[in-house]
Amino acid sequence: MMAQEVLLDCLGEACPVPLVKTEKKLTTLAVGDILVVQIDHSCAMKNIPEWARKEGHNVEIEEVDDGEWEVIIEKVK
Amino acid sequence: MKKKVEQYDVVIIGGGAAGLTAGIYCGRARLKTLLIEKSLVGGLATYTNEIENYPGFPDGATGLELMNLFHKQAKKFDVRFKLTDVKSVRLEGETKIVETFRTIYETKAVIVAGGGKPRLTGAKGEEDYLYDKGISFCATCDAAANTGKTVMVVGSGDAAIEEGMFLTKFADKVIVSVLHDEGRMDCNEIAKSEALANPKMEFIWNTVVDEFTGEGRLEEVILRNLKTDALLPVKVDACFLFIGYIPNTEIFKDILNMNNSGYLITNEKMETNIEGVFAAGDVRDKFLKQVATAVGDGAIAGYGAEKYIAESETFHNQIMQDDMPGLVFVWNAVDPKCRDLMPIIEKYEAENQGKVRVIKVDIYKSAGIANRLGVFEAPCVAMIKDGKVFKIIKDRICEDEIIAAIE
Ligand SMILES: Cc1cc2nc3c(=O)[nH]c(=O)nc-3n(C[C@H](O)[C@H](O)[C@H](O)COP(=O)(O)OP(=O)(O)OC[C@H]3O[C@@H](n4cnc5c(N)ncnc54)[C@H](O)[C@@H]3O)c2cc1C
Repeated sequence: MMAQEVLLDCLGEACPVPLVKTEKKLTTLAVGDILVVQIDHSCAMKNIPEWARKEGHNVEIEEVDDGEWEVIIEKVK
Repeated sequence: MKKKVEQYDVVIIGGGAAGLTAGIYCGRARLKTLLIEKSLVGGLATYTNEIENYPGFPDGATGLELMNLFHKQAKKFDVRFKLTDVKSVRLEGETKIVETFRTIYETKAVIVAGGGKPRLTGAKGEEDYLYDKGISFCATCDAAANTGKTVMVVGSGDAAIEEGMFLTKFADKVIVSVLHDEGRMDCNEIAKSEALANPKMEFIWNTVVDEFTGEGRLEEVILRNLKTDALLPVKVDACFLFIGYIPNTEIFKDILNMNNSGYLITNEKMETNIEGVFAAGDVRDKFLKQVATAVGDGAIAGYGAEKYIAESETFHNQIMQDDMPGLVFVWNAVDPKCRDLMPIIEKYEAENQGKVRVIKVDIYKSAGIANRLGVFEAPCVAMIKDGKVFKIIKDRICEDEIIAAIE
């Protein structure tokens, strides 16, 4: 099966909701899949990337607009 | 997957106050500058709601507002931003390598501005409740979620007490665990008297965290009294740790000089032990870790990187040329011995026009070029042939010696 890219909309949501949603969503994905989390609360920039890296996944962030980001998580295990 | 390779003049690691300021200086100097930040641009300052001691903001500013202004200013000078973490570096040599998960950046200079991260207590169960499970390091991030709740703050320094007071605007009760005897705190006096008078704040003296417990989420912090060893379970909805910070320097181990705690050692020009590699801000071993000092460090590092790159260019494009032999006179304008030799050098220069390229380097103004030649004192003459230094004359500098060397 091809790796899929899944979008998770967390726009308008404050901590800790985006991280809770990200954790849940990631468990439903397969290794190699990519989860793109959309956020606009800066607090989520401090915990989602760090948590995901600690779990061993690859993480990059795109600043889509002023104060709006996409956290791109490649599920590694 | 093959990694992309990109070239820059300067790569800045870390987008806090220090990195952003260095970026502003490098960008304004028209260097091709990349800043790599793994989390939120703005760094640790964005963890606080109130910055009252940064000059220029008499009414105070939130950390996020202040750092957004820094960010905007860096963007204005064309600093490029990449939001990912630097995994490894290779800093020896003239082309330095900074590697991320997708890309290899080749750069002439590197500015390390990785700052710090919160220190953990090391108590039992701690790992299980990090991130969204009840242990936090950021009051502004998690205060609203604790509206009407009971929270604990661990620590008694400025950050602990000031952030604790901020939390009382949301939480019903803020319980502070303090290491010291009753009435003793590490914070400034203003914060201390305000905190002691705050009806929502409660202090538990002489304690440290022994254990964090709870079903899935943090429910209880078990404190240990340092004098009696008695354990004191405290029911809380969240716990904020403000017991200091540790430097983000793991990737520089065995590469850059650091002190026992891992802070990078620099001189006052922010130079590390490797040429072309600078460090700025909280990541350095320094006396005061604040936004104001991070800004000062960043400015020096940015300026230093600019000078270093200019010097490299002079070195390669003017000094180490292979079209004809060269003579570099390293001198110091304030030293009479050096001044006495100048007529000899200038006479030689006039007589050998078009045959030998003569360059004078004032060691006081640019010790860097002299060092690259392997020269550490003046007066001194370095002879260049085929783009390489082939002889250094330190003693008895005179025309005959120079002529003999060239032939
Ligand atoms: C709660 C709190 C309250 C504070 N209050 C004040 C105050 O009132 N006044 C004041 O002046 N100072 C205050 N400070 C201190 C101030 O925040 C710091 O001195 C300042 O942030 C230092 O800036 P810096 O750029 O050196 O480091 P940091 O702000 O720590 O920035 C470093 C950045 O580098 C990034 N980074 C690290 N390693 C890597 C890597 N490998 N790859 C990519 N990126 C990386 C980090 O994610 C971080 O964003 C406070 C700090 C805290 C935590």
